[in-house]
Amino acid sequence: MILRRLGKVFDPADHTLPPGCKEFAQSPQTLHFDAFTRVYFSTRSTDPSGATFRSHMAFADMTPDFATVLRVSAHTVLPLGDLGTFDEHGIFPMNVIREGGQIWGYTCGWNRRRSVSVDTAIGFVVSDDQGETFRRLGPGPILGPSLNEPFLVGDAFVLKAMGGFHMWYMFGQRWVTETAGSAPDRVYKIGHATSLDGLNWAKQDGVQILPDRLGPDECQALPSVIQWSGRYHMVFCYRAVHGFRTDPAKGYRIGYAHSTDLQRWTRDDAALGLTVQAGDWDGEMQCYPHLTVSGGRPFMLYNGNAFGRRGFGAVELSLA
Amino acid sequence: MSIDPTTAPFSWTKLGKVFDPRQISGRPWLREFAQAPAALLLDDVIRVYFSCRPPPDALGQYVSYSAYVDLDRTDPTRVLDVAQNPILTLGGLGTFDEFGTYPVSIIRHDNRIRAYYGGWTRCVSVPFNVAIGCAESTDGGVSFHRLGPGPVIPYSLHEPFVMSGPKIRRFNDLYHLFYIAGTSWKMVEGRPEPVYRIRMATSADGLTWTKLDRNLIDTVVEADEAQASPDVFFADGRYHMFFCYRYSERYRSHARGYRIGYAHSPDLISWTREDARAGLDVSDTGWDSEMVSYPHVFHVDGTTYMAYLGNGVGREGFGLARLATALNWGT
Repeated sequence: MILRRLGKVFDPADHTLPPGCKEFAQSPQTLHFDAFTRVYFSTRSTDPSGATFRSHMAFADMTPDFATVLRVSAHTVLPLGDLGTFDEHGIFPMNVIREGGQIWGYTCGWNRRRSVSVDTAIGFVVSDDQGETFRRLGPGPILGPSLNEPFLVGDAFVLKAMGGFHMWYMFGQRWVTETAGSAPDRVYKIGHATSLDGLNWAKQDGVQILPDRLGPDECQALPSVIQWSGRYHMVFCYRAVHGFRTDPAKGYRIGYAHSTDLQRWTRDDAALGLTVQAGDWDGEMQCYPHLTVSGGRPFMLYNGNAFGRRGFGAVELSLA
Repeated sequence: MSIDPTTAPFSWTKLGKVFDPRQISGRPWLREFAQAPAALLLDDVIRVYFSCRPPPDALGQYVSYSAYVDLDRTDPTRVLDVAQNPILTLGGLGTFDEFGTYPVSIIRHDNRIRAYYGGWTRCVSVPFNVAIGCAESTDGGVSFHRLGPGPVIPYSLHEPFVMSGPKIRRFNDLYHLFYIAGTSWKMVEGRPEPVYRIRMATSADGLTWTKLDRNLIDTVVEADEAQASPDVFFADGRYHMFFCYRYSERYRSHARGYRIGYAHSPDLISWTREDARAGLDVSDTGWDSEMVSYPHVFHVDGTTYMAYLGNGVGREGFGLARLATALNWGT
């Protein structure tokens, strides 16, 4: 279903980013205006130690065909959380929707842990200035761990459909070590939650909605859903649990599923048809996909090699 | 002249320290501390759950376990037995309770014995975070198994971290969970200290909770007063809460350490704080001369007792006091 490959459409090295940020434009997610399409992404600053990053929200306003960058935010779109909060060490990604004259943002907040590297939870932020800046309604998350989703709840994607709000998101299942003494790697899956108001959510608590392709330790993240031609289409990314940072054979690829009722999904990765060609900007890794209808045409934005360190690209889709 | 029970201070007779973990041998996980006592009445004994610690690791960091002692029902100052093992293992890698299960509160209902407990993880920018877990026992409260690897009540917009100190109760056919929730981390002499307040949630099944989402008890000593151990019971036609409170800074001292407070309520939501009525303060000398904290009030065979901690927040164990007057615990 790839109609046209646009290649990389945004490279952070070509622009001035928010304070302290130089590289990374991860997890592009759109907000539509009459004259342009705004693409929110996460970029990174380096901690004073030089050893760790912090992710920050930024955006690029682009022509609806993603051919031209019109403007890049150089200001702080959303400050990180206070000491000890769930989003103190990074916000990545953020999904935005228009609701009641406001822009609502569903964030994934990161905080560092001792025995494992991180935990995440889903936050809620609101913009009253057309998405230039966002504010929190409170210091805590709106969706975090529960009995059967013990950690790493994040990557929310929200769609208003069938009389309510639907959220697809990531939840952690377990941390596993490849060999004795190696750093723990996480296993996560995609779940589904529903809400009447977009703020108070009911999770299924531990129910994985997509089958595994790489076995029980497959990691599934960043779901994105649109309705087109009478059915719902989902893209997401998946990878092996170990070795995914350095071994292109174990790195992220983009998966696809479709549904008519938002409850039962048929996974059919091959139908997407996004091939991998060594040497390309996305020849080692394809990740963090986002489905959007821009200028009346369906596109998928996504990141390539090195988790989007050098930006994001796009394909135009022919969805059936 | 008569004493009005709705305004007079409670009159407690201190019975002394009844359990000192440092005198127990053969249990490497029980070296020091017997914190946050919580009673479960059995036929012959009062089983008092508490939380304890093995020696710290090479970096000086502790983990915590929960266990119990059985006290003589006719003379609760007599220890009859001590748990052979912790009632609950620590959580798995990366889970909320990987580094501690403290404190614990037990309830028996519908032939079930359930524990709600604080689970501790270790963080980088602040020393720890705490969330509330749930576990059940099928052997009379000797051992418990988790209902899941995650916590049972969520962090939320206005309860962002450090949810701890659960006390599970059942009033009016609903489970009530009293707990504390952190409001901020305050830098004190270069070290983050949590500020927390007393909160409440209700549930029909004990698993899905509706938060009241507001502080129950006003602060007294300072705006950042830390409050803990919200211990609620119903007697004489009203709800009573004993709790403890302290300053947010330099609280490891006599002057600024934990004291026991008191509040009452007609409806569990609106509380009137009257610390002067708590009736249990530090002693001039001895094991509870520096601070008193973590009150738990229970009723056995017509007598009301308070279990509480003394100096070092329970490092040396817990003690008991007996209420001099009768309270009607009937419903």
